[in-house]
Amino acid sequence: MLEIFRSMMKEEWRMHATMIGGTMFAAFPVMLMFFSFIATFFLPIFMTVFSIKSIALLLHFFFVFFGLSVGSFGLVGREAMNRRFGQASLIAYSSRSLPVSEKQLFLNFFMKDLLYYFLLWILPIVAGFGIGMPFVSFSIDFTFMHVVLLLVSLSLSFLIGLSFVFLLSTIYVHSRKMLIGLVFLMFLFGLIAGGFYNMATLSLLPSFAFMLDPRLSLLLISLAMIIIPSSLSIIFLKIDYPVSKKKHKNMMKSLCDLFRQSRYSHFIAKDFIDQRRSHGGVGKIIFSFLFPILIIWLLLFVFFQFIPTVNFLVMFAICMVMISSSIYNWVTQYDLFVSYAFLPVSVSSVIKAKLRTYVIMNIISVLVLLFVGLLSGTMNFFLPALCAFIGISAYVLAITIYIAGLHPNVMLYNAKLFLMYAMSILPVLIVTLVVSAVNPIWLFFSPLLVLASLPIMKKSYRKWDSTAQAWY
Amino acid sequence: MSDALVVRNLRKEFGAVTAVNDISLDVKKGELFGLLGPNGSGKTTMIKLLTGQLGMTSGDAHVMGIDVQKDSIKVRELVGIIPEQETPPSFLTAEEYLEFVARIRKLDKIKERCDKWFKLLDFEDQKNALCKDLSRGTRQKLMFAQAFLHEPRFAFIDEPLINLDPIIQRKVKDFLKGYVKKGNTIFFSTHVLEIAEEICTNVAIIHNGKLLHSGPISSLKKKRQHLEEFFLRLVKDA
Repeated sequence: MLEIFRSMMKEEWRMHATMIGGTMFAAFPVMLMFFSFIATFFLPIFMTVFSIKSIALLLHFFFVFFGLSVGSFGLVGREAMNRRFGQASLIAYSSRSLPVSEKQLFLNFFMKDLLYYFLLWILPIVAGFGIGMPFVSFSIDFTFMHVVLLLVSLSLSFLIGLSFVFLLSTIYVHSRKMLIGLVFLMFLFGLIAGGFYNMATLSLLPSFAFMLDPRLSLLLISLAMIIIPSSLSIIFLKIDYPVSKKKHKNMMKSLCDLFRQSRYSHFIAKDFIDQRRSHGGVGKIIFSFLFPILIIWLLLFVFFQFIPTVNFLVMFAICMVMISSSIYNWVTQYDLFVSYAFLPVSVSSVIKAKLRTYVIMNIISVLVLLFVGLLSGTMNFFLPALCAFIGISAYVLAITIYIAGLHPNVMLYNAKLFLMYAMSILPVLIVTLVVSAVNPIWLFFSPLLVLASLPIMKKSYRKWDSTAQAWY
Repeated sequence: MSDALVVRNLRKEFGAVTAVNDISLDVKKGELFGLLGPNGSGKTTMIKLLTGQLGMTSGDAHVMGIDVQKDSIKVRELVGIIPEQETPPSFLTAEEYLEFVARIRKLDKIKERCDKWFKLLDFEDQKNALCKDLSRGTRQKLMFAQAFLHEPRFAFIDEPLINLDPIIQRKVKDFLKGYVKKGNTIFFSTHVLEIAEEICTNVAIIHNGKLLHSGPISSLKKKRQHLEEFFLRLVKDA
């Protein structure tokens, strides 16, 4: 049992080290710790606007959300990894050839994820805060115990998110209809309960409540929220190995006809087919796109009681840029350039095709923005918010492509690339927020960012056409 | 016969490893040229270099008169390639994949072309199955079909028979022989010497990235030498 766990840890390390280099991967938590250390110095400034409680709450929900997204990647990750490393090569699938049960493997996989993300994310962030704390004068006396408590409560938050989404994915494997029904009910509940959402309701998150008041009962409730869904996931675990005799209707021709205006119609058609037929299907969109949007909506709803200077819809549009940029990750994760390398196709033409797919799929984002504008009664800011969304999306995408080409999923854990990405994106986001606070009318100029993105894109095409593509 | 492929002092280094070491060779039009060598000898790297899938460290290569380094897309437009690993996109069906390739190559009569190959390689019943669910042999058939879909004058094929059953192997060998008889050229990489001996007109033997021999297979036959003996001796002495 321990050997499986140890091997999975080694496997995870080697997988990342193969893709982005061991040093760059190892530097990632160090970079996070540095960021967190620097952020600690700005904390007193933030505390003049927000209470420390609301900042801590935001951080806890960030980790719940992070756990959700890590878990939801599990839905599609298998196929992405299969594509990169071959179907039978991961230990997680070794129950087919070795005397190990799937439940054992899943349990090890869960523990491995927990330790990995603890070491990669949670520990560095808390450590950065702990190291910076003695150098900053706070209105509250922070002690070492507070830091330990934060480490525990953030880990619990991450695990609550992770366990919850594992349960949802188990439900999904048993019945897609049941899952869609469940998410719809949750969405409906969110809408109805929207009026009751406030700091007090959100503070009921047990891990957060435990940080505020470290009682055993709150720790036990938090643990129950982790153990019950995880145990149910393991008990009802059903793994369907993706070999089937199913026949599929030819969708290529009809989709090519639909997108015939584009010279890349066949690539766009392929991307749509990939999304439709890959594991997760609609569920993947719910987990990776609509679910985070719903959470951000709820969080903004609460936090806007404290930051009334920035417009709600504008802020929502900016947050949605970051989530909608994941569409580019979806459309690139099922492809390896090795599948095209022997055809008369350049890397830049594949990127251009992916861009078209991204734009078409982003119609969902515009509809969501419209929906949120209508529901929040902020439709008078819809056009400036839309302008901000379009401008920043184009810019973020251009930077992503310049830095990561056809491998945006790899970028995140390469410390150097991530730093470049953050340094390029953050100034634009901050300026947009400041400008929108001064006067949202200025946001009508944001589409100029599309023009600014064009030379970056051209440079990216040249860069990637002259770079040997990875064969993993 | 004029040259379909001209290679001069081709070299490829991966860090400290030299995968292809100063290789020069010529392939005439209408030849079925076999590139032979043990596992890891540099055969697949050679094909990737000659089709512009990998950049060369030095040297040059012309395929059908086109400089590979200057216009690799043009080379891949003209030739057909069967890569070593059969990696058709997972979620397309076999039929959709061939249609996809046909559209990349801007071909007409797509359905007719695809159906011809489904019939020839006997996998019509699999055309609506997802590529990820196909057996390795069927995937190999699919990769074979995509390489010849546009009826190229030159094809690079890397270990194309390895996963195929004897019946299909026979069909493919007959097809390849007939194909070169029409004046087309095939550059064929393998380590299965019996197949090379049976179908190739010329062979080159490489080991550790170095060219050990290049010449017509008929000269071995005249000397009543078996390719296997010759190959083993060359590799042992190298």
